[in-house]
Amino acid sequence: MSRYLLAKSSVHQWLSKLLARYTVYVPTERDGQTHWHLLDPRDLEETPDRVAPAQRRIRASEPVKSFMFQPRQRVAGFPEPLPLPESAPRLLLGVKNCDLAALRVHDKILGEGEFKDPFYVSLRESTKLVVADCPAPEQSCFCNLLGLTPFAKEGGDAALSVIDGDWIFEVGQTGQELVDTAPELFTRLAGETTETKKRDEERSAAVAALNMTNARPWNPDLPGAIAAKLADDSFWRKHAKTCVECYGCLMGCPTCYCFLLYDQAKEKGLDRTRVWDACYEAAYARVGGGANPRAEFIRRFANRFDCKWNQFKRDHGVYSCTGCGRCFKACMGKIDIRTVLGEL
Amino acid sequence: MDETPNIRTFVLKPEQEIPFLAGQFVELTVPGFGEAPFTPSSSHFRRETFEMTIMKVGRATGALFSLQPGDVVGARGPFGTPYPLQRFEGKDIYIVGGGVGLAPLRALFLALTHEPDKYGRIFLRYGARTPQDIVYRSLIPEWQKIPKVDLDLSVDVSDEKWMKRVGVVTCLMDDIPCDEKKSIAVVCGPPIMMKFVNQRLVDAGFQAENIYLSMETNMSCGVGQCRHCRLGPYLTCKDGPVLTWAQIKDIENPFV
Repeated sequence: MSRYLLAKSSVHQWLSKLLARYTVYVPTERDGQTHWHLLDPRDLEETPDRVAPAQRRIRASEPVKSFMFQPRQRVAGFPEPLPLPESAPRLLLGVKNCDLAALRVHDKILGEGEFKDPFYVSLRESTKLVVADCPAPEQSCFCNLLGLTPFAKEGGDAALSVIDGDWIFEVGQTGQELVDTAPELFTRLAGETTETKKRDEERSAAVAALNMTNARPWNPDLPGAIAAKLADDSFWRKHAKTCVECYGCLMGCPTCYCFLLYDQAKEKGLDRTRVWDACYEAAYARVGGGANPRAEFIRRFANRFDCKWNQFKRDHGVYSCTGCGRCFKACMGKIDIRTVLGEL
Repeated sequence: MDETPNIRTFVLKPEQEIPFLAGQFVELTVPGFGEAPFTPSSSHFRRETFEMTIMKVGRATGALFSLQPGDVVGARGPFGTPYPLQRFEGKDIYIVGGGVGLAPLRALFLALTHEPDKYGRIFLRYGARTPQDIVYRSLIPEWQKIPKVDLDLSVDVSDEKWMKRVGVVTCLMDDIPCDEKKSIAVVCGPPIMMKFVNQRLVDAGFQAENIYLSMETNMSCGVGQCRHCRLGPYLTCKDGPVLTWAQIKDIENPFV
């Protein structure tokens, strides 16, 4: 692990060097929200000034899954088979730790299982990840309840902390090439410095803020508590009463990965496409003969909690949730899952 | 071949052999209309061609019924977990089918009768709505002649020619002529039939881990990723589609 400083004045030059090698996405601020932005050489003049403050904001509105597990992906063709995917090098410069944790959930299912998804694997392997500290968690953030920190402890190719406009990097073996694109711009840091001291203070303050916002831990046996409540319709009805079934919580969720396969006829043969699906959809579990184990919405609502905070934890050892808060930020009915899970 | 007005047996010749075992399923694509899971109904000892007995219920099956002999379909598989035939060795097997549910059971029945010395007696109890709804009508008389096989049928509604029992399939289960404590039971049929047959088997004394149930869920990807088929802690496309009563008895309302 090496530590580097990239001075405020050099960020612009580094970004332009990166563009020669990678397709680069950075967070930017727009209308009070953070959004992923495709860095374009043409807007390099003004972008760096917008990038640095955005690095210190919470996760982008769009979940990082959009980059690896794409909303729409052609997955098979007949009679001409689809060529195996090849992806050009990409860099996501400024993911947050909650998003990194979400990618680990997808890795388990799509990247490491018995059947590896070639589209996911190709995009994942060609993407470098720089994980930026999250010094200012908002009221919607609750990664602490999932045992996560608002900065990367491990994983990703490099960790970034923006301190007084200067960029501090911690770089592992896989991230070294990012520094090597323009080594002359980086200053190697040894031991404690003023910047790293400030960074550590900020990190501690962010943890303290999260612990303040989300002071009460969940039931330590959340899976068991959900299983016990599963058949209790009155509990789920109480929490689902403002749901308008828009599926915003599921589309925005960085860990949800349900998908639907559908075919389209071509003149000769077919194309098969994979799209994101939503377990709140009425026909989601319906079978060919018409039987539907979750015909009632309330069963589908409870099923989401059963899936993410019970079964997934039992099957894979982690919750299919990283505390990013996108689900209730997107919710028109203002259903805060912290309230639901907090009552279990 | 038409089995009933809305159930047909299709014979498929795979370009590349699909090494299925009884209980596993295959995803069948009707080009341009979609994909759906079906369990082969022929013996896994013969794979140059295989058969699927399919009921016309929706878009993909509707399109399947309009195909002509020689038309091309797509197949992916095999998927799922086969019947653990090693566990069945030396035991009596009590098979209960309802309607088109006899199709996957036929693959098991043929696998068992292919090596009759390995297993005890094989009981087959089958119920259909009417005599016209019985699948494999021409094969059943042959099956009755196989040594160690004991076969009985019922229909919910009879006609004047029907000589056997009238009633739902559980009416054939008043006397279960094998040792319930040790025997294996295998069930496939519509959810409501599965529910009552399973209850009858449990009451009769079959052990929960010896009752094998074909659970119908929306199996789409076949590889445990899309999550449509989740049934409690199981993804039926990988852990099933055949699950034991011991596995699913704690799931709320599994037969829906």
